[in-house]
Amino acid sequence: MAGLELKSLRKSYGNVEVIKGVDLTIEHGEFVVFVGPSGCGKSTLLRMIAGLEDITGGELYIAGKLCNAVEPRDRGIAMVFQSYALYPHMTVYDNVGFGLKLAKTPKDVRDKKIRDAARILQMEHLLDRKPSQLSGGQRQRVAIGRAIVRQPEVFLFDEPLSNLDAALRVDTRMEIAKLHADLGATMVYVTHDQVEAMTLADKIVVLNAGVVQQVGAPIELYQRPANLFVAGFIGSPKMNFVSVTVEAVGARTITVTGKDLSSVAIPANPTGIKPGDTVTLGVRPHALDRNASGTIVGQVGLVERLGNETIVNLKLPSEASWLVVFDGDHDLAVGQSVALSFAPESAIIFGADGMARHPA
Amino acid sequence: MAVMTETAAAVPVVQVPKRRSPYPASFFLPAAVIYGVLFLLPTFASLYFSLTRWTLFNSTFIGLDNFAQFLREPFLIKGLINTVLYAVITSGLKVVLGLLLAVLLTSQIAARGYLRSVVFFPVLVSTVGVGITFTILMHPTQGMINEALAVIGIKGPGWLVNPSLALFSVALVDVWKGVGLATVIYIAGIVAIPKDYYEAARIDGSTKWQSFLYVTLPLCRPATVTVILLSFIGGLRTFDLIWAMTRGGPGFASDTVASVIYKQYQAGFYGLSTAGNVVLFILIAVLVVPLTMLLNRREGHE
Repeated sequence: MAGLELKSLRKSYGNVEVIKGVDLTIEHGEFVVFVGPSGCGKSTLLRMIAGLEDITGGELYIAGKLCNAVEPRDRGIAMVFQSYALYPHMTVYDNVGFGLKLAKTPKDVRDKKIRDAARILQMEHLLDRKPSQLSGGQRQRVAIGRAIVRQPEVFLFDEPLSNLDAALRVDTRMEIAKLHADLGATMVYVTHDQVEAMTLADKIVVLNAGVVQQVGAPIELYQRPANLFVAGFIGSPKMNFVSVTVEAVGARTITVTGKDLSSVAIPANPTGIKPGDTVTLGVRPHALDRNASGTIVGQVGLVERLGNETIVNLKLPSEASWLVVFDGDHDLAVGQSVALSFAPESAIIFGADGMARHPA
Repeated sequence: MAVMTETAAAVPVVQVPKRRSPYPASFFLPAAVIYGVLFLLPTFASLYFSLTRWTLFNSTFIGLDNFAQFLREPFLIKGLINTVLYAVITSGLKVVLGLLLAVLLTSQIAARGYLRSVVFFPVLVSTVGVGITFTILMHPTQGMINEALAVIGIKGPGWLVNPSLALFSVALVDVWKGVGLATVIYIAGIVAIPKDYYEAARIDGSTKWQSFLYVTLPLCRPATVTVILLSFIGGLRTFDLIWAMTRGGPGFASDTVASVIYKQYQAGFYGLSTAGNVVLFILIAVLVVPLTMLLNRREGHE
């Protein structure tokens, strides 16, 4: 059992609080991704788990052991850095074996472990090279190899793919997923790329300004975001929002209307909402269809034709600008009027407090 | 090669004009004049004058006689040994102390900025001033150093009057004065090492000492090379501090090649002392060129 438990973890630099009480349980073998915009504290949180940042308040348990004041090497963790941090003066072999050498592992055991790790990562032919003689993807592999030989209970990844080009990023992403399946270790992964988060994670933790916004399975975050922030952050292109007025409140629906759309009943939890309130309606770009009798009419601003789909930037009457993704190719002229419709159950109502009103 | 030729044949080559315009060359003329007058001319003139009997007003060509006489100087061998010894001691101590001070001054200590200035300050003081000050401080009976030692019951040595100690005393003062520059070079080298390496080492279980050994030391190698070369060349050429503190004495105990040359110059043997300078130039080249090649070859990991 090498799960992690974070109990109201806090971190301040002077008077500035960057992690504002994070509670989180990570089960053994889980792949957890911390995601959020830059400056949200996701890297800091990871570094607190690693032991590279002091913990200002709260408790951190790794495999059931309180680790607040434990040295990084005794936490049973290994970390892969964004810059890879491969020692430039050592060969790949020495880089991978550095931790074992420091731990005074006998030479034959060390050699076997290094070669095992090299085999797992298919980099046996690189062992005699210096990091400067490797490509970005190969360096990435060595950095992971250095983590593997320590046989940690928890792997920590700090934006490991952000220095790779797009094609390599997809390949390496799959390799990391495979590695997780093979090793069965707990992995904590930090990224600002939501595609990485969606594809790799068993569980995503969305952070903003040092506060956990939502924790859940990727598809759960996509379908039932807890608030405006998560709704806007997860999903690409971004969810469209528009301010609307509540017209009527039913038992399981809220009927809204506004400058941009005529009256529509959305399935939602109406508790505490009364007619006349201003709420936010969120509709994903993919949920909108071209429909001559649609309730929303906008003017085409920008068209991106990708062949299999067409991304259109629409200007609504209230000056709000929406992104819409149509399947297939659509040849639209700038300034042309397009009418849109959407299935009411695909839309989400957010209260004035920014919290989603999902139907029960 | 074959591929290249093919490409060259396939692509029509733009004809390069045969005669280049002299206009761009005119831009380096001012620098060339300054370099020629202040560097090339004196260098070749001194090569010529080293082959003459020279009174500053007229010179008679005498072939290699000056060199023969310079190498016959009774204390030249002593001076040569002293010069190399001085260069090795000062550059060695500057490397070790400079690195230690730089590690200290890049760590989280109080008054770091102030202490950095303190360490660098002696570099800014005039060498002759430092020499005179330390000559007074190192006076065998009334000097402050020996008086301080006497307080704790140690009888201080005759720093500058003991023939077997004088050269080392001057070398110590040279290190005191020059270590600030070495420290600054090392500080620049150390702060350029990415923090990630230390963090990765920490996670791998490295102690502070091991991080120094396996991360700081190898990665500030370019700084080490710079410090060694600068202080070694400086040590071989040393003159001002020796002259200010001992004038090569007592006797000839702390004479270096440069002070031997200066004494000949004072005595009016201009051709002879110029020949001595040529010898010193060759000595520096013979020692430093292989050293540079050795240090830079091992650097080849970048």
